[in-house]
Amino acid sequence: MAEATLKKPLPVLTSEAKPFWDAAAQQKLVMQRCQDCRAYIWTPRPACFECGSERVEWTQLSGKGQVYSFTVIRQVVGRAASKAFEPDVPYVVAWIDLDEGPRMISNVIGSPVEDVKLGMKVAVVFEQQSPEVWLPKFKPMVS
Amino acid sequence: MSIRGKAAIVGIGETPTDRLGSKPGEPRKSSAEYLSWALHLALADAGLRLKDFNGQGLGVTIPTAYPQPFWPEEVAEILGITPGFLFAGGTGGAGSVSLLGQMGAGIASGMIDLALGIGAAAPFAEHHGGGLQPGDMRDFEIPFGTMGANSKIAMVMRRHMHEYGTTLDHLGKIAVAGRYHASLNPAAYLRKPITIQDYKDSRLVADPVRLLDCVLPANGGKAYILASPERAKKLRKPPVYVKGFGERSNPSYGPRAGSDALVMGIKDAGKVAMEMAEIKHSDINFLQLYDDYVIVVYLQIEDLGFCAKGDLSYFERTDFTFKGQLPIQTGGGMINCGQPSTAGGTLHVLEAVRQLRGEGGERQVPGAKTGLVSGLGVLPYGKNLGCCAVAVLGTEP
Repeated sequence: MAEATLKKPLPVLTSEAKPFWDAAAQQKLVMQRCQDCRAYIWTPRPACFECGSERVEWTQLSGKGQVYSFTVIRQVVGRAASKAFEPDVPYVVAWIDLDEGPRMISNVIGSPVEDVKLGMKVAVVFEQQSPEVWLPKFKPMVS
Repeated sequence: MSIRGKAAIVGIGETPTDRLGSKPGEPRKSSAEYLSWALHLALADAGLRLKDFNGQGLGVTIPTAYPQPFWPEEVAEILGITPGFLFAGGTGGAGSVSLLGQMGAGIASGMIDLALGIGAAAPFAEHHGGGLQPGDMRDFEIPFGTMGANSKIAMVMRRHMHEYGTTLDHLGKIAVAGRYHASLNPAAYLRKPITIQDYKDSRLVADPVRLLDCVLPANGGKAYILASPERAKKLRKPPVYVKGFGERSNPSYGPRAGSDALVMGIKDAGKVAMEMAEIKHSDINFLQLYDDYVIVVYLQIEDLGFCAKGDLSYFERTDFTFKGQLPIQTGGGMINCGQPSTAGGTLHVLEAVRQLRGEGGERQVPGAKTGLVSGLGVLPYGKNLGCCAVAVLGTEP
């Protein structure tokens, strides 16, 4: 198989995470929130990972945040599936601190990699990867 | 409950490390061969026989690329041991330090009085496939094009530089000290001394992580033998006692959905271990810190409490060589000696034993009586390292 036709690895749509992916397909960023201790829960868990409560509900977030840190991928290494990312090089893998508190791993897109800075304000956009999977990525907010 | 002084290391075995087997026709050894080699070196060092381990403890570190759930038992089959207490080192690179705690507790309970801790891997010579990934990594990291540990640690390093003004001079000092010690260690793999400028000039692997920040994957096997103090006293080498042990897995500093990525579980594991050992920082003669990356060594020195978080001046004024105020990585660490998967961390236990026996050769820390060893493993979502283990070892119980 030619490298250009390699498919990127997709998430497994586990039962506990399915509401997240369903919402993403509707262009909505949601996370679980504990109805007892009010903690946000990310990544998806069967129950609250702070207090153990099973009263957790999916809540829509603002989709806004800032870059906590990042790296620029200039070379794909390791697992065979990584090769599928070669056409995207260079690209930014970042930790995004959402305004509500949780930290996500994602990509900063829509900006030259040289312009990405820590503390940069970003907003979520969704990129379709398969019929079911839309990945939440982040673009710089226009100030 | 304390295990202070209730178990001692009485034998060590370490094969040479190599990177052979990736090219066709290159001579190669299997994990089984490295395991057996390490075991026989440790038996010779301790003056024990294979039979002595029947009905006793066996602890095996589980390598990352060999997804066979019965590996510890298979190792017993390979070596020809019938253990009475089989321990699985399942904390990744922290495995060998974790096993000091697990097997030390087993010995302290009186159920066994001898235990073998062992691990090997041959990532260049054996190809088991990629193995399974943890769910969060599979579903919420890899689809975004993360490139393993390099990406994660690059983000940790960049954030530390941003928050505290840490520079390549601060970090390079750790790299230079490690290589200097490797130059004095005949068993090290990378032995040519380097300068801070060499560190700065090394290739960017995952910006800002450079080649000389990174550990060196290798083939090899490592083992140690733990015994009760009564049994240890009858053996040929001076006992090296487990004085303290602490471990934290899945640590979190702040909310679990947004933990402080610059603090490691070593902070609490170290505190527990030092309290068990009843020692102060000034009692510690050297550190052997798990070193998958230079920044990870740096963070541990902070989190163990040798200085405040972000105290750059501490790193500027401290001599980290074996002659200095705080010797670290006295054999060169995994960065210079090689990392056979999760067995790699055992290197730090073995170097601590050599130093405490006075077998450090040209790199011997003068008068070493107490040392601290750490192990780290697993890179969980949104955090730095997920399994953190610390042991305090010493010449006295």
